Amino acid sequence: MATFKRIGIDRVLLRCSCGSRTPLCRLYFCRHCLKLRCGECVSHEVDPHYCPNCLETITGAEAKLKKNRCANCFDCPSCKHTLSTRATSQAVPDPDDPSKTTPKKVYYLACGFCRWTSRDVGIKDQPVATGGWAEQENSDFKRITTLLEYYRQLAQKEKVEKERKKYTRRRGYLHFSDKYGLASVVAKRRVGMLSMSSLSLKEGDEVKVSDAPAADPACELEPISQAVYTEPLVLEKVTTISQRLANPEFQPTNRDDLYPKHKHMLIKRSLRCRECEHNLSKSDFNPSSIKFKIQLVAIHHVPEIRIMTVPNLSFQKESQVVLTLFNPVGNMTHLNLLPSDPEESDWDTATIELPTCDLVLAARDDASEFDEGVDQQQEFNDDSSVITFRKANKIGFGVKVTPQKAVGEVKVSFLMKYDYKNMTTALPGENKEPQTDILQHCVYVNLGPVTS
Amino acid sequence: MPLFEGIAYGTEKNAVIIDIGKAYTKCGFSGETSPRCIIASEVKRQKSGLIVKVCSYSSSEDLYGILVDFLHTIYFRHLLVNSRDRRVVICESILCPSLFRDTLAKVLFKHYEVPSVLFAPSHLVALFTLGASSGLVMDAGYSETLVLPIYEGIPLLKAWQAVPLGGQVLHRHLESELLETAVVHSDDSVEAKPLSSLGGSLNEKILEDIKVRCCFVTDLTRAKRIQTARLQESGLGTAASTELPAPPPSVEYPLDGGNILHIDGKIRENTCEILFEQDNEERSVATLLLEAILQCPVDVRKTLAENIVIMGGTAMLPGFKHRLLAELYDLIEKPKYKEDLAVKTFKVHEPPSKENYTAWLGGAIFGTLDILSLRSISRETYRETGVIPDWSSLASSGEVSKEEKLGLKR
Repeated sequence: MATFKRIGIDRVLLRCSCGSRTPLCRLYFCRHCLKLRCGECVSHEVDPHYCPNCLETITGAEAKLKKNRCANCFDCPSCKHTLSTRATSQAVPDPDDPSKTTPKKVYYLACGFCRWTSRDVGIKDQPVATGGWAEQENSDFKRITTLLEYYRQLAQKEKVEKERKKYTRRRGYLHFSDKYGLASVVAKRRVGMLSMSSLSLKEGDEVKVSDAPAADPACELEPISQAVYTEPLVLEKVTTISQRLANPEFQPTNRDDLYPKHKHMLIKRSLRCRECEHNLSKSDFNPSSIKFKIQLVAIHHVPEIRIMTVPNLSFQKESQVVLTLFNPVGNMTHLNLLPSDPEESDWDTATIELPTCDLVLAARDDASEFDEGVDQQQEFNDDSSVITFRKANKIGFGVKVTPQKAVGEVKVSFLMKYDYKNMTTALPGENKEPQTDILQHCVYVNLGPVTS
Repeated sequence: MPLFEGIAYGTEKNAVIIDIGKAYTKCGFSGETSPRCIIASEVKRQKSGLIVKVCSYSSSEDLYGILVDFLHTIYFRHLLVNSRDRRVVICESILCPSLFRDTLAKVLFKHYEVPSVLFAPSHLVALFTLGASSGLVMDAGYSETLVLPIYEGIPLLKAWQAVPLGGQVLHRHLESELLETAVVHSDDSVEAKPLSSLGGSLNEKILEDIKVRCCFVTDLTRAKRIQTARLQESGLGTAASTELPAPPPSVEYPLDGGNILHIDGKIRENTCEILFEQDNEERSVATLLLEAILQCPVDVRKTLAENIVIMGGTAMLPGFKHRLLAELYDLIEKPKYKEDLAVKTFKVHEPPSKENYTAWLGGAIFGTLDILSLRSISRETYRETGVIPDWSSLASSGEVSKEEKLGLKR
């Protein structure tokens, strides 16, 4: 993020629909709401999970079973690098003839960076390249499952009691029935009700709750071994905190217990507009591809303003600043620059005189980059006092800026109004004419410090 | 896991369980035996690029931004799930500031749009890991050690005890001791320089590493001998002379830039003493337990003393629990406690987890239950009221108070 300051991306900011000021390159444009969205006002969703090493993609349900870890790749427990499987041949007695030995290929895991191998921990070499490595078992697993069962029963009981409460409230009018001789009718109704709610009451009333799997507290605790006081500490054998926390279940303190873990997966995020729930950005399913299936970024839809030249700005002196405008869409755009609302006065430190005429931008044509000698100035009547140059789909125009503060940065703001041809609402076959909407964005420009 | 169980519970996805601590955050899913990840409670801000601790914030807007970035890394780097699909259980300390809870709820509901949130007190849910309904729970964490007794599922709030002795204090003590006495050898030169000449080489990470790998908690008899010998040196002790027990061997600890720090054996043994030394008010980590018992009604004291649960990262120091128990037996002989306290035996539970994620495991067990939806605050309720029920504010609790809600009655 330090590159922001160097390239100067945050010189020209736009106001997003949530009120924050962000550079155009960080904004998304929702075609349905016709509004700008920044990273904070979109909701993120998790798309395909993939392994960063073998680039294998798995679905969400499978990821849940595998605990977001790749089945084939391992991480070195010592340095977190990726482990590679190496093969050696081992002499194994031939099953037919015990006296002869045949070489057999066995595999072990090794780290290329810190030279850790699976043999350091005592894991036997596997005859298969992948899928043979055993997992560590948690000794407390059974105890936890019994606890879970017990609490589930308690929770079930509580749920049933709560449901019963709902039904019993209806019995409030029972005492009236005797007055009017309706006791028999009510009694029949009561039986009917019981049968209806019998499903929950059957196991309900007396949910057999097994005895709590009570833990046995210990009277005496083990002290640390006396060897700590006399034997020198071998620092290399003790694991560091990050090595321990990489395996939260076991947290081994000794290097000999460091077991390799499966590699953690990564995800690609897809973004969605919060208001209309349409996708703003969806990447390709293949993890090795950087393309997007849907990419509604603001740069492709909103005209971009950039600062071209800034002269020396002095206090109370009017100077000419040249800004450039790029047109990203494939049709001609008419732009109007208007002074901003007085509410934005907390940003402005200078007054700006904007060109009053309409700014017309040519359509963006990728092929025209290769054509030379097309004279475009004949097609548009340009006011040469305002528009300094025109080339393909960009123009440069001048504005007059008068700094109002003697020190600090010179900041100006204005409204940019333009027409936008909405391609999405043009349904094929019905309405062939795409709608044109007038959109308006507030632009904030930071021209730099005042030079005295 | 049997197949039919997967289908039956397939509709309700596993809840997300997060335990945000001052130093480390444990996050994972309900129904699992351990958290998916234990990460440091700090985040790299997207806007400024600086690494900031989650608990150090200047205002509520600042905290909002920090929590958005932090939960972003949790959801999209470690848990890899959509926030909209899963309920959330947050294990928190009962002394958590209201501003933090409210901002966290705001971030979860407004930005991440979770369906419901449950704030569970970590001492209470720790008992779920044992199947017990009563216990004296002690959480030895980074910034403080907090003790809360719980009887039949109800926390006895008025008996809470806390002392600001934890991992942070150990780091500071270690730092001052090392700067005073330790020497550094560098690769090229043979002579030893004092550590203070290197300046700024002892940051939190290195101190934590030294504490975890080299230090330990010594037992009571040795500690007493060291204490009396130290008193004698300063001329305050009794006439009988006790000699200092032989210190454990020292350690050569490699620092950056080819320097090797020589850590004396005495520092290894004595750093953790600060947890058990009684300060001016005669409070230490061990007295907390006795004070908490004293604050409780007489009938429950025996049950509490026989159901002690110790959790927290600082409790994982080698020898901590044994020393704690020895200190307890030693302290009840003192005149201060002998008359008032009738308990004579103490028993300590062993939860089926490492101490640093016991509270998380309790939250995970609670998160699998169907009644989670009844006990949580749903998004609709939050949208209407905008308020999280808080035990410390009478205004927010209209009906049943939080503690009664969470106590599972039989």
